[in-house]
Amino acid sequence: MRGLRKITAMLTGKILLLLMKVLGRQGTVLPGKIARRIDPDILKKLAKNITEEIIVVTGTNGKTTTSNMIAQILTEEGYSIIHNRAGANMLTGITTAFIAGSDFTGRRRYHYAVLETDEANVPLLLREVKPRLLLITNFFRDQLDRYGELDYTVKMIKDAVRESSIELVLNADDPLMADFERYTGLCVWYYGFDDTDYDTLVSSESREGRYCVFCGNEISYRRYHYAQLGSFYCNKCGNHNPEPNFLARDLVMNPHLRFKINNIEIESYYQGFYNAYNILAAVSAAKLLGVENETIRKAIKSYIPRAGRMEVFNINGKETILILVKNPAGLNQTLTAMKHDKRRKNIFLALNDNAADGRDVSWIWDADVEIINETNYERIVCSGKRSGDIAVRIKYSGVSENTILIKTPLKEGIEAACSGEGETTYILSTYTALFPCRKILRRMHHKKASKEGEVFRLTE
Amino acid sequence: MGEIKIAHMYPDLMNLYGDRGNLICLSQRLKWYGFNCKITPVSLGEDLDFNDIDFIFMGGGSDREQDLIYRDLWKRADRLWIEIEEGMPMLAICGAYQLLGKYYQALDGKIMQGLSFFDFYTEGEEKRLIGNIILEAEVTGEKVTVVGFENHGGRTYLNDSAIEPFGKVIKGYGNNGYDKTEGIFYKNLIGTYLHGPLLPKNPDIADFFIKVILMRKGIKLDKKLDNTIENFAHEQVKKMILAG
Repeated sequence: MRGLRKITAMLTGKILLLLMKVLGRQGTVLPGKIARRIDPDILKKLAKNITEEIIVVTGTNGKTTTSNMIAQILTEEGYSIIHNRAGANMLTGITTAFIAGSDFTGRRRYHYAVLETDEANVPLLLREVKPRLLLITNFFRDQLDRYGELDYTVKMIKDAVRESSIELVLNADDPLMADFERYTGLCVWYYGFDDTDYDTLVSSESREGRYCVFCGNEISYRRYHYAQLGSFYCNKCGNHNPEPNFLARDLVMNPHLRFKINNIEIESYYQGFYNAYNILAAVSAAKLLGVENETIRKAIKSYIPRAGRMEVFNINGKETILILVKNPAGLNQTLTAMKHDKRRKNIFLALNDNAADGRDVSWIWDADVEIINETNYERIVCSGKRSGDIAVRIKYSGVSENTILIKTPLKEGIEAACSGEGETTYILSTYTALFPCRKILRRMHHKKASKEGEVFRLTE
Repeated sequence: MGEIKIAHMYPDLMNLYGDRGNLICLSQRLKWYGFNCKITPVSLGEDLDFNDIDFIFMGGGSDREQDLIYRDLWKRADRLWIEIEEGMPMLAICGAYQLLGKYYQALDGKIMQGLSFFDFYTEGEEKRLIGNIILEAEVTGEKVTVVGFENHGGRTYLNDSAIEPFGKVIKGYGNNGYDKTEGIFYKNLIGTYLHGPLLPKNPDIADFFIKVILMRKGIKLDKKLDNTIENFAHEQVKKMILAG
């Protein structure tokens, strides 16, 4: 009977996947959802087809890039993997990924599963799959209106892993993770950055974790890498960064990322400190899984970003860069990366307030939008359902009103931005506007332009 | 021309949901009106001379921080009350607003004392009141709409019917979700649940504070700013709330 249930669930899931493909829809959630109704244990059962290990990646920012990179490294090493897609990171999306990868009987085997999941979803996921590694990227303020305070989410994750034998892979530079080891008693591996030339001695204002997780005293910083990530210590109880097992050093960010992780030389066409952290996290996981240095180096170097993770289009002969922004830390990092690119720019920002974006758009006031004044902009186009809110934020950052253009429909907005005098166009978008923006850009993308991968080079 | 001095109370502890945007808004508008503005952060235990201050701002914080703030504010309560009575303009948001009342009773029954400046109290409930909100307020002497975003677990009840609310709820929850009141308005103090942040998309309220600040310094405001973008944003949200 139980076998029949699994097969019915698999068949239904497969048929739904096929149907949605025929209809041209992105079937990332529904097949898993229905299959779970038929057989609530379907994910548990399919997870048994993983012969080596399951790796779970969570955290506020960078989980998509980090898990994509782990998947890329494992594929490069010749392993077969199951990997869920960006945005489909709840149980239903993960189940869909397993159904899509499996055969009709649900027996096909894979070496690894790399599962990206939302922070709030971790406890539920751990009830159904038994990963060897749980990697956490960082804890930033994000979509508080969906999950309540950050403290609560962090505690939920700690409680969920407490009775397990999971190995944790943690960010040594995030003060909110400092008590995981003591609280859970688990085996913990840390990754972190040595001092870099890009550190600052004063913080930006929008940081989380201002208080020591052990004694509640305000924590002090020797240096900040970015946001609340840095070299910290507590004056009262002596808490400070744990010693990293994977230490990144000699960071160079211009024209693109170069640094060393232990003895591996890393080079990537990505930009921005946050991406250096994503790479560091992915490489740490890969080393723990026993992947060779040379494979890692090659996989990172050839890694091409997915939608919104700095994807490049060629429009009217100009490089047009699409970037997802969804919270203050991400927006700060994007603006900083734009500041390092010295070219004259057309800037487009789309702000939506659908459930997946977070209904509350006030986060744009927690970001240091004032950095936009140093980005060498020609015009700034504000778009999306909350075009007014983003326009007001930009006006109050000190940008002259005549440079701000409000075009609420995305298509009009993108066209207005791309027709600007700037040498390059930056398209920034929140989650639910990202795929519509991408569709518009793809259509505008010059037909003769070479394949996506080849045009990807931000700075010569 | 003299400098406008703003006290930002407990910026490390009380800054949720973009509340600092209210100060970005005030200082930019003051600059556009031709005045310099200095924002002084005030931390726990730090000295503050109210004589030297033209405006007081306090944002929202989480429950954990509320008690720390109460103990610090208690020591300043007498002076603060005199200032409020004398017409000091002040904006208190969410947690800071709750502190101006008698007490806050948390879900587990624990009671956190307030400053008892006003006869109202707050009770925590499990379901948070979250969403866009639209009010009608009359603080400027004329009826204006106010838009914002609320996100609070506490329900505030005004015991004293003489307390004037900041506004009447047109759509959203407000103080408690029942009586259509939102916030309080007393002399030049506004206590409110509205994040968003409040002032940037409601330039009438921002200018209400600016006019009071300048009037108390004997300056009359005659310049007008271009609010096209602010009004566009205000109307955009208003339309969306009324439609949804």
